[in-house]
Amino acid sequence: MSAVSGPGVDVEVPERGNFRGMSDLRLVARQVGFEQLSFWLNPIGALMTIAFSVVFLILLGATAGTTTVKSYGGIKLLDYYVAGFCGYGVMAACFTILAITLVNRREMGLLKRVRLSPLPTWMLMGAIIVNAMIVAALGVVLLLVVGRLGYGVTGPAHWGPFVVTVLVAMVCYSALGVGISTLVPNADAAGPMVSLTFFILVALSGLWFPIAPGSGLATFANFFPIRHLIDALVGSFGQRGAPYWPWRDLGVMLIWGAAGIAVGLRRWSWSPRRG
Amino acid sequence: MPAVSVEHLAKSYGETVAVRDVSFEVQRGEVFALLGPNGAGKTTTVEILEGFRTRSGGRVETLGVDPADRATQRWLRNRIGVVLQELAIEPYYSVRQVLTRNAGYYPNPRPVDEVIELIGLAEKADDRVKHLSGGQQRRLDVGLGIVGNPELLFLDEPTTGLDPSGRRETWDLIHRLAGAGTTVLLTTHYMDEVEALADQAAVLFGQEIVASGTPASIGGRDLGAVTIRFRLPDGVTPSELPVAGVPVGDGLVEIHTEDELRVLHDLTGWALAGGYALAGLSVLRVSLEDIYLGLTRSGDPGEPGT
Repeated sequence: MSAVSGPGVDVEVPERGNFRGMSDLRLVARQVGFEQLSFWLNPIGALMTIAFSVVFLILLGATAGTTTVKSYGGIKLLDYYVAGFCGYGVMAACFTILAITLVNRREMGLLKRVRLSPLPTWMLMGAIIVNAMIVAALGVVLLLVVGRLGYGVTGPAHWGPFVVTVLVAMVCYSALGVGISTLVPNADAAGPMVSLTFFILVALSGLWFPIAPGSGLATFANFFPIRHLIDALVGSFGQRGAPYWPWRDLGVMLIWGAAGIAVGLRRWSWSPRRG
Repeated sequence: MPAVSVEHLAKSYGETVAVRDVSFEVQRGEVFALLGPNGAGKTTTVEILEGFRTRSGGRVETLGVDPADRATQRWLRNRIGVVLQELAIEPYYSVRQVLTRNAGYYPNPRPVDEVIELIGLAEKADDRVKHLSGGQQRRLDVGLGIVGNPELLFLDEPTTGLDPSGRRETWDLIHRLAGAGTTVLLTTHYMDEVEALADQAAVLFGQEIVASGTPASIGGRDLGAVTIRFRLPDGVTPSELPVAGVPVGDGLVEIHTEDELRVLHDLTGWALAGGYALAGLSVLRVSLEDIYLGLTRSGDPGEPGT
């Protein structure tokens, strides 16, 4: 607050605007810390988020042997699974868990409470999304380590495109997570609606079994962003030396991310819907 | 400058009217109670004052600013505290963690340990929220409302769900906050809460204010008839009284009058002259609950608000 003083004048002038510089950035970091604390204080939820993709990788990797995937330039099936489950982990943290968390917080009235506090919306959403990105990054690192130690998978041949793809996916799937959370009417429906959508799209996108490009299923799956994430990540595990940048896949993900933001902005509610 | 100023406030959701033509002021340091049945528009009014909802018409100022002005909303929220009608606390944090987190949102927060003491949860400070009883969670909810050291505190039915001792403790806390200069705007269904806490009150019914004033005078409470009650002296029949009385059983007699001074004078003069004792003599004024029920039972409540 600032004050205007003078002879006979003592008027409080409310401070305007929602950004206070470095102190706000420190507040965001602090809020991310509390989001992390909240996440890890529920160890079963945390374990399920991160461990699911690792368990799937271990199970499917054990059956992969030396099989290669012709439709992806002869890449080893183990490489395919490590790359694919990195995408799965990003989606689980940034899409599924984020969406379910937002719905639960909305329906519990937690979003409304934060809305009535001085914490600006951009800080709250920024902290929630950064928290999801940290969880996703941990999952990716864990998958790469398990792939290397368990199955001798050396990791991406193209680290730059791999990292960029993971970052773009984090942003886009977080946006989609925010968007779909606004379509879920109540907390009871959050898990089934979001998880079912996620698992059906994952299955259609060829994570469990590679889908031949050009097939009808591939054409259908190409409409959705999940197959593009898997394609982009698997591509980054391809032949070393060959130039690789998955621009089209990144573009499709960004378009879906923009759609998620549009839906979220249009339908966002701070109050419980309980419909 | 009042802490809250509302003039001709209106809010509609499409065809549904939630609030119409509501006007009142809350002075700084005052405890103001907004009464009314469910659907009268209390929560809608409070949420507009907090800047959570926008209004359809009228003029509103909270701490001197328009709560709908997004440019000053952060400034305003630094200075207000809110206790919502429904509990909303993350279950996995401890009491201290959730208060520490929220304290960090404010420029001049109240020390967390002080808040924990104020809400009586010192022994539960390191327990997770999910392990607290409903009443303890409600007190923590109040703690979240005051941790920012607010100038103006909104309490939306703050003692709903509390046991009698929890209610008394919350009342004590509100008394202490008000005594320290915090302005309090509360909504409630409990008349005893209004009488115990409020300096001023207003009754919302049918989406409008139908009465306002001090709890002692609202709705003409201080002007209406009183009931004088006493035990009939032994050997005296009601017809012998200097003022007509009505037996109400158990040897008691009641006299209903709007002229209490004259009736008491006649009655006590007669008793002194005759050497009678008027055991249990009391003057009963119409209760706040009677006034409230009278105001909210009559007429069409109109369309429901929230």
